[in-house]
This record gives sequence, structure tokens and C-alpha cells, in this order.
Amino acid sequence: MSIIAPTDAAGVVAAIRAAHDAATPLAICGNASKSGLLRPVQAANTLSTSGIAGITLYSPQELILAAGPGTRVADLAQAVAAKGQHLISEPPDLSAFYGNATPGTLGGMVATNLSGPRRVMWGATRDHVMGVVAVNGSGEQIHSGGRVLKNVTGLDLCKLLTGSHGTLAVMTEITLKVLPVPERRGTLVLKGLDPARAVAALSCALGSPYAVSGAAHLPAAMATQVPALAWIGDSVTLARIEDFAPAVAYRTERLRAELAEFGAVELLDDAASVAAWAAIRDVTPMVSDPGAVWRVSVRPSAGPAVIAALSQAFDARWFMDWGGGLLWIAGPATAATHQAVIAAAGQGAWTLMRAPESLRAAVPVIPPEAPALARIARKVKAAFDPRSILNPGRMVAGL
Amino acid sequence: MQTNFTDAQLRDPDTSVANQILRTCVHCGFCTATCPTFVLLGDELDSPRGRIYLIKDMLETGRPATEEVVRHIDRCLSCLSCMTTCPSGVHYMHLVDHARTYIEATYTRPLHDRALRAVIAAVLPRPGLLRLALRGAKLARPFARALPRKGVLANRLRALLKLAPASVPPASPIEIPASHPAVGTRRGRVALLAGCAQQVLDPAINEATIRLLTRMGVEVVVADGAGCCGALAHHMGRHDPAMASAAANIAAWSREIDGAGLDAIIVNTSGCGTTVKDYGFMFRGAEPGLRAQAEKIAALTLDISEYLGRIGYAPTRPAPGLTVAYHAACSLQHGQKVVNEPKTLLRKAGFVVKEPADGHLCCGSAGTYNLMQPEIATRLRARKLDTIRATGADLIAAGNIGCMTQLAGDAMPVVHSIELLDWMAGGPAPEGITPKSA
Amino acid sequence: MIAQPEPKQAVMARRDAIIAGLRKLVPETGVIGDPLRLKPYETDGLSAYRQVPLAVVLPETTEQVAAVMAFCHREGVRVVPRGAGTSLSGGALPMADSVVVGLMRMNRILDIDYADRCAVVQAGVTNIGITQAVQAEGFFYAPDPSSQLACMIGGNVNMNSGGAHCLRYGVTANNLLGLRMVTVDGEILDIGGAHLDAAGYDWLGLMTGSEGMLAVVTEVTVRILRSPEGARAMLAAFKANEIAGACVDAIIGSGIIPVALEFMDRPAIHACEAFAHAGYPLDAEAMLIIEVEGSIAEQDYMLDRIRDICNRFDPVSIKVSQSAEESLAIWKGRKGAFGAVGRISPDYLCMDGTIPTSRLAEVLGRIGEMSAACGLQVANIFHAGDGNLHPLIMFDANDPSSFHKAERFGADILKLCVEVGGCLTGEHGVGVEKRDLMGVQFSEIELEQQRRVKSAFDPQWLLNPSKVFPLKPELPRAA
Repeated sequence: MSIIAPTDAAGVVAAIRAAHDAATPLAICGNASKSGLLRPVQAANTLSTSGIAGITLYSPQELILAAGPGTRVADLAQAVAAKGQHLISEPPDLSAFYGNATPGTLGGMVATNLSGPRRVMWGATRDHVMGVVAVNGSGEQIHSGGRVLKNVTGLDLCKLLTGSHGTLAVMTEITLKVLPVPERRGTLVLKGLDPARAVAALSCALGSPYAVSGAAHLPAAMATQVPALAWIGDSVTLARIEDFAPAVAYRTERLRAELAEFGAVELLDDAASVAAWAAIRDVTPMVSDPGAVWRVSVRPSAGPAVIAALSQAFDARWFMDWGGGLLWIAGPATAATHQAVIAAAGQGAWTLMRAPESLRAAVPVIPPEAPALARIARKVKAAFDPRSILNPGRMVAGL
Repeated sequence: MQTNFTDAQLRDPDTSVANQILRTCVHCGFCTATCPTFVLLGDELDSPRGRIYLIKDMLETGRPATEEVVRHIDRCLSCLSCMTTCPSGVHYMHLVDHARTYIEATYTRPLHDRALRAVIAAVLPRPGLLRLALRGAKLARPFARALPRKGVLANRLRALLKLAPASVPPASPIEIPASHPAVGTRRGRVALLAGCAQQVLDPAINEATIRLLTRMGVEVVVADGAGCCGALAHHMGRHDPAMASAAANIAAWSREIDGAGLDAIIVNTSGCGTTVKDYGFMFRGAEPGLRAQAEKIAALTLDISEYLGRIGYAPTRPAPGLTVAYHAACSLQHGQKVVNEPKTLLRKAGFVVKEPADGHLCCGSAGTYNLMQPEIATRLRARKLDTIRATGADLIAAGNIGCMTQLAGDAMPVVHSIELLDWMAGGPAPEGITPKSA
Repeated sequence: MIAQPEPKQAVMARRDAIIAGLRKLVPETGVIGDPLRLKPYETDGLSAYRQVPLAVVLPETTEQVAAVMAFCHREGVRVVPRGAGTSLSGGALPMADSVVVGLMRMNRILDIDYADRCAVVQAGVTNIGITQAVQAEGFFYAPDPSSQLACMIGGNVNMNSGGAHCLRYGVTANNLLGLRMVTVDGEILDIGGAHLDAAGYDWLGLMTGSEGMLAVVTEVTVRILRSPEGARAMLAAFKANEIAGACVDAIIGSGIIPVALEFMDRPAIHACEAFAHAGYPLDAEAMLIIEVEGSIAEQDYMLDRIRDICNRFDPVSIKVSQSAEESLAIWKGRKGAFGAVGRISPDYLCMDGTIPTSRLAEVLGRIGEMSAACGLQVANIFHAGDGNLHPLIMFDANDPSSFHKAERFGADILKLCVEVGGCLTGEHGVGVEKRDLMGVQFSEIELEQQRRVKSAFDPQWLLNPSKVFPLKPELPRAA
């Protein structure tokens, strides 16, 4: 097993051509910080894009940033922060969650399409990928999108590649939209709500005119894992507002009044807000949980029922983000628990986020497609990667 | 939009006007969204843009109108909602009017269609005949059940009978050509278009108009020789009778202008108002003298609400505590772009005014449309009544007898806005309307 | 006239049988087959290109669409999906051997869920129809293309439509949750739902902007948002395009993202003012419409900051709207801009390139030179916040040489957009209009990659095959 880590696109082309010609699968990664996600890949060689790092274009007044996939997300965040901007989807840093020392890269952030709490208001990572340059499974260099904020020229391969976990092409440059960092943050906290009341409160907050950009609920056991919230000593229901300072002051007051029917509302200041939401973003409450972890995405109002069903089925640890639409669930790493999660998710979607390799190899880790769509998925995979050498089996066995 | 007319075709003034209208259209499709028939039928052919295209093709090829084209043009309500929407200023009204004349000249309708149209064209504009016919219809009503359940003819006859009022009021003395002097100091002199069908169906409208105006110090003339405005024939593509009616009105009013003078010509049936305001265009090819008279008449013509807004209206009675659903007649809101005046006046008079959702959509009356296209008209009526009911109003006010007839017969009373304004300024309460105790 | 793929003679020859077959699948009035009635379906919002189709079908349910698709697939008939027919790129232009599947009868709103902030609507619901359905509860559907009154959500999905407010709220792709669609062989598929971001390939993202080439969209689940407390617009006028462009940079650089940031050049200002009477500054070379949202105090705070920035750029005038009516008039001028140009010129071509905002002044300068060289006037309207440029080229369709000049002028503008780092289309789609320019932006390898993705959905290239990609002598083989 060898690791190939080219420092430019030409190196990626050469590596993939060689693998294509030899029909030898490649495991694709950046820093492999999220290798514990989805299914393990069986491949003789690994192609890492960690060597293709660095910002290639940053035009703050055009809200545009381009960088190599190996650029660390933390470095990007720092570079844009220096110009008063931020990464819009609040991408999580899951290195602690996966017990890895290595920090995540831009390539990994885009390939997994994971987004943080701000997703609920401002869109997912995929919504802010404006352009990609990539190498497909035949070793051909392709680009989609560009360095402008609006582009509908041809099929949107940016979206298709985002979240495709390296199974279609290997990205060598990624262009993102960035936005100014809001001047101030404020978080309203309700205490002691049960899941149903919490989701009702969050629905009220998200349905208010105050542009709530974070809406989460942590039961007491989870909240105690977060230093910024532990002092509350109860379940917490959080609504965040980010904007200019006067707007945050005004809106938190108005929202506080609207949420009064759900109990006393406290306010977290800017620093506490930053810390609390970073913990929710990075799934901190489950970092030290011994079990497997699932991420379930449902219609927000369905969240409490899913939680109730899972709490009946096993000793479920959980918290909610996205107003109840995103459920983080921890439980025993067994096929039976996995089945229970799938059953409870119903119409929603689920991802086995963290589990021992044996379980991840044995069960579907994401929902299977309907047969007609599965046929199309195989053809799309073949359209990019005819010899199936890029991260085979990473998302779905045999794909 | 590109057009393909030969130079010879363009030498015909009517074709030349059509070409100019077609060239204004950029085929953007905005008009489709606010067209009642497109909303109901979901077919480009039943949208303004589709009709414009059919008309364009018909005129360019110079072919006689075909059954298919006629079907889609006939379905047009001429509500002119499209003209309100059009950002490019396409004069759809003149185009579709021209198409209707072209159809009338080149297409032979089925016998029953011709017969019905002939009857309508002959009876509706003649108050005496209409009154007689309606009394007959009342007697014929019980036989509606005997009509076959299906078939265009049966449906139309059923529609005809349904629209006939249960009681036909006697002729009102007020409509005899005469001058009704102002009460007190005269501040103006206007001619009132006494109309044709309206005075038979609901003479109270003219009575209220004259009462209110004279009380406000305006002398009102019902000019000798003036009658039907010609709209009815015009919309059926019957060019010559339409022009004859219009010419008679122009002559009658011109005599008044040259005599004691007129400040305005008042129309209280907006369908007619749209046509009278278009006399200038209708007579664009006439000899210069007549053309000038037509233009002058058109310029002097005002809807009653416009005139009242201009001279200032004030109620004398306390607010009646009633909520009125204002139904904007298409001819008023789209044809004449009179949108705010009636609502402002009603509010001033002390009514709470509500507007139904989708107020831009026609109620299905559209002149004689409810007689010719009963299925579509019935669906539009139901839709309109649903949105009106949703306002929670006590009664419906409109500025057009066609809409009033179309919307009548539901639980809510329908009156002309002028009847409410007259009432609040000292006139009698409209039939069936009582103030709510405060 | 634009080149079209060779009609399939076998299909043309079976025309009557095909129409008869379609009549068995949808209600009687839902099949149009006679040439005269097909004529109005020969074009869409880009009326310079026309082709009468073989037939038009107007299904009323997803199941009917599926039946029609299965039938056409069996018969080897090409299909062109159509919504309101407002495409400015010829996205709904038929082919002689094609069946147009019109979704206009599917205009019902199926479900509105305020608690979960989503709505399920049929493809034929108009863009504004969604907002109208939810506004009484204080919600709205964010993307607002200028044709929002008429254009339908199915078309919005297929073109990934934008609008003046997408600087803040994103384009169609950013406001979708799920789709129901029919594959080329008549299978009904659901993707997404009322939840966010399912793992797996982003079918929703791929379908959005796929211009009717991958599947026929019949139902759409959209996100609805709570309306802000209020919004107000400001007009800032400047002495030169460069200055207005620099002001845009300064506003965004200061950390303010207005909900809308629109730019008009002198000809556009004059055309729109004549139509809307909104008090546009006729003495300026360039004008910005800047809109902010929030409570009155929040609006004041933002507008004060923006005014301070504008004042640094020697403005000709700055005017803040004082009333809802005034704001409405300001937007009426902007949203009616295309039609307004229709008043001063018999015809126009609306271009839709995007450019890096920093190159605006340079691009407008070069467009001005091209305009002088070819003798056609142009008015420029620009979504300045996101670099989306709409040059409106004025021409006379009854003069063929004028039209060809306009076509060439348009192509040159789009090439310029790509040259400075932008793209051919920001929100109107490639359609047929920009099909042959795709090679300017993409290599043949890249086009082949996209074609293979289409083939994965539609191996025989039956779905809208004349769009987006330059025509090839033979259609590409299935992947």
C-alpha cells in the first residue's frame, strides 16, 4: 500500500491515469481526518490531495475564495477572518470526533458536504461551492462553475461532486463563496423543554422575521458536555442571531418576547455564543461517547417522534440541530441499533457517521436509492469513473 | 416580435395598426399569468400571447378564420387584464377587436351560433325588446329542466334563462331624454349615458346617479338620440352596427356640447365607458369633422367614480357599519385603469372596503360572455364568489351592470357603488340593504 | 434560424398514430395536433427562434406525465418540457419531431407547512404564486426572477433561476428541498423531501439547472422563509460606470450585504424611467438600487452606513425611498426593464453573462465600443452584487441583417464575459441561444463529461436534446 500525494493537478492526472490504465482502485483522501466516516475503502493505493494546498485566489469584495483541496479548513478560516469574512456553512471540525490529530482539509469539507448550524439559514457547503477543477476516473481534467457567484452554464457538476466523497472525481481546486463575518452574535436560551416543546420553540424562532441562524436543542446530559452550556444544568434550547450589533440587540429582545410562552429566556453573550455553537458544530457532546453515531435528517417537526422511538429502542444519546431537522444520535454499535435508526428515520435520511469498521462494512451507511435512481447512480458513476477506481464502495457497496 | 406582412397588406390601415401592435409585443409571456382563461384552462392557446400569435398568423396569411382560431378568440373575455400586466404596452384590445371583425367577415358560424348572436345583438341594446324578452324568459324558466343536459345550445339557453332576473322592473321615467336640473347653484352640466340593457335590468342605478349628481349641483342631461354605446356589437365583431350606435351617440352629445355645453359625459356602466373612451380610435378613419367630434367625446368621458372624485363627494349620513367587498370590474380596472377612485369614495362614504384575492381576475360576465361561454363563465363566477365570501363582507359593490348580474343570486346582495354613495349622501337605501346597528 | 437535430423520419411518418396514442393518455383537450393550433407553441420568450412541434400534450397529473413519457420512450419520440414559456434562452424551443409536454395545467399548491417552513407545489405554479399562497402568514419564496409573475416553478428549477434578491437569499438551487420527477422512460422518482441534505449524490443539485435534459419535474418542495419586518430601497447615482462599480466594491468590502444591489447604466435608466416614473436620476451615467431589510431602525442604520460609503464616491444624487409606494415604483422600473426596452425598440436580445464585479467598468467600456462598431444600441442592467450582467441589445426583427448583427454582438459580449473570468449564463440557462458558445467556456473533454451525465439519465437523448450542447453530427453513445 502506497500513498501518492501530488503537489499539483498534473500529479493527480498522472496518478489517476496510471490507476485507470492498471485498473487499480485508489482510496481518495485529503488528510484522512474523516476516514472513520461511511464505508471503508479497499484499495491498494491511496491518493491524497493534502499536497495541493494554498489559496489561489481571494477577492474579498467579490466574496470569492479559491484554494487547493489540501488547504486546511482552519487555515482558510483564518485567512478570510483577516479580511472580516467567514466560511458561510460553518463547516465542522470533526478531528476530535474521529479521534484524529489531523485537521480537516477543504477537499474533505467539500467531498463530504458537511455543514454546521448556520446551514438552517444560510445554506449548506454545496450551496457555496462556486467552482471546481477536478480529475475524473479516466484522468481527464474537467472544470465546472467558475469564480463568479452565479453560473448556470451547463450541468452543475459542482453540486454533483460536492458530497460525492471522492467517488466521481478528485478535486484539485475549489472556489467558494464567502461572506462578511457578522459583527455580533447573541443566543437566546430556553431551559428545561422536552423535545416536542423545544422543536415548537425553534420553529417559532425560525419562523420569525429575525433571521435566526442557529436553532439547536441539547438535553441536559449533552449540554453538560459543553462548557459554555454546562452551567445551566438543564436541557437547553438555543436560538442564535448574527448581525450588526444594534440589530442583534433589537432582534434578541423581540425574539425573547415571542418565545416567552416557552418559559424564561436567557441570553448568551457573544463569546459564549461562539463557544456554544462551535461545540454543536463539531459534535463535541459526542466526542467521548463510546458508541456509534448517526446523523439523521428529517422534517423538523418529525424530530421529537424519532427521538422518542429511538429512546424506546435503545439507550439513545442525542441532540438536535437545524431546528429539529438534524438529529445526532449515539448508541450501541450494533446492526440492530442501526436498523432501529433506519426505521425511526422514516421518510428522512440517515448517515452512519462513526462506528467500528466492521459495522460500517456490513451495513448500508446511507439510505439506498430507489431502484430506478440506483440504476442512474451507477451510470453516473461510470460516466465519471468507468473503471470504478475512485474510492470504490465508499458510499455504497459495489459503487 | 417579428411580423411578416407584405407592403400591400400594410397599405390597409387596419392591418397596419395590427402590425404596429404586434411589433410592440416581445413575447415575454407575462400576460399569460393574469389571463383568466389561461389560469383555468392551462393552454397557451387560451392565453393573450397565444391569441396574439393565432391572430398574427391569421392576418399574415390572410386566410379566412378557421373554427379553431375562432374557438380560442371567442374564449377571450376581453377583460384586458393582459393590458394591465403587459410591460411593453401592447394594445391587445384593439388587436382582438380587429380580429373579431375579421372573423365576422371571413367565418361562417354554425347556424345556432349565428341565431343566438343575432338575437342577442338585436335584443340586448333595445330596452323595449329586452324588457319583453325578459318577461318571456321568466315564463320560460320552468322549462329549463326540459333542455337536454349536454350541448352548446342547451347550455347557452340555460345560461340565458338563469341570468334573467326573477322580476323585471318597469321602465323608469327618469331615462326619457330630458334634462334633470341641478339642485341649488349649478356647478356643472354633464350628459349621462343612459345605456340600454342596464336601464332594463336595474333602473335604480341611473336613478341613483341622477339623484346624487343633481343633489350635488350638477345638471344631468339624458341626451335625445343617444342610446347603446355600441360595445355589444363591437365585441361580437359586428363593425357596422357598432359604428352606427357610436355615431348616434357622438351626434347626440355633440349637439349638447354645441348647445348648453358639457363638462363631462358620465358613464356608470364601465363596460360601456371603455368603449366610449375609445371612440377616438374607432373613428380614426372617419372624415376629419366626425373624427374630431369622436376624439372630443372620448376625452370628455368619465366613469361616474372619476367624476365624483373630481368634484368632491361627502356623505351626510352616519357610517352604516357595513363592510363592502369591492368587485373591480375588468372594464374599469383594466380597460379604463380606474382602480382607486371607487374604493376611495366608498371609504369616504363610511363603508369598510375589502378587496377579494385575485381581484384582477374576471368574474366571467364580460358583456355577453356568460351567454356565449357559459362553462368558463360559471367557473369564473364560482371562483370570484369564493374569494368575495372569504372577505367576510356584508355586500358586494361593483361599477358595472354585467358583473352585478353575474354575481347576483348568491347569498350576498350586489349593488352598484353609486347606489351606496347616493344613499350615504341622502338618497334612499338600496333595495335589501339596511345599516348595521353600531 | 437556429440549427436543429435532423428530425427522425420514422417519427414524422407516424405522426397521426403518435397523436392518436397520446390522446389515450390525457383528457381530450390535452392533446394538440393540428398545425394551426400548434403554431403558438413554436417559440417561448426568445421569439427569434421558432419551430412548430409534432404535438403538444398538456397532462394534469404526474401519472399522466409518466404515461406520456413511457409512450414517447417506446415510440422513440423526443420530448421538450415546457412551463410558462418565458425562457429567454429558448429553453422550450421545440423540434419538428418532438412532443412538447406542457406542465401549465399542473398549477396546484399541494401542501404548505409553516412549522417546517416548506411548501409542495406542482411544476406549473407560478413563482409569485408560491409567495402569494403564503404571504398572508408572513412568509415568502425567495428567488424572484423578473418574470416571476408568469414563470413557473418547474421552469425555475430547470433553469436554476435567480433574481434581484439572490445576493442575500440565493438562487433556486439554494431554496429547494425535494422534487418529484418523471424519468425519460416514465418512472416516477422522488428526490429529497422536507428534510435537508441527505447523504448520497446531490440529485437535487444536479437536476437544478439541467434544462429539461435529465427528467421532467412535476412537483417541487420549496423552502419558504419568513418575510423580514420591512425593506427599503435607495437610489444612488454616479458620474461614471467605474465610480458606481467602485462603490459596489466598497459597500461589500465594508461588510454590508444588501438584499439587493442593482446597477443600471444610462440607457437603462432612461428606458425604465419612461415606463415606471420612479424618479430615476436622468442626469447620471450609472445608478445603483440598494435595498436593505429589517425593522425601520435597522434599515436606517444600514442605509446611513451605505450613504456614507456612497458619499465617498462623489454621487450625483442619493435618494432613499420614503414610502412603500416609492419602493414599489423603484422596483417596478427595474423589474419591468426588459419590457420597458421593448417600448423604445421593436425587439431586444437579453444577454445573461456573469463577470467578476471588479471587471465591470472595463466590460461596460468594451460593450460600448462594440455597440458603436455594430451600430446597435445596448442598455445594461446588472445584478452588481453577484456579477450577473444583462445587456439588452436593441434590434429590429423585421430586418434580418439587424437580427444577425444582434446575434453576433451578443455572442461577442458573452465571449468577453468568459475572457474576463466569468461565464455565459448566470440565471437564464444555455438553452439554444448559447449552445454553440459552450466551447468558449468548456473544453471538448468537459463537454463530453457533461454529455455522459445526460446519457446516464437519457441514453437515447430523447429529452430536450437540442439544448445546452453544441450539436454533433451523431449524438454521443450511451455511457
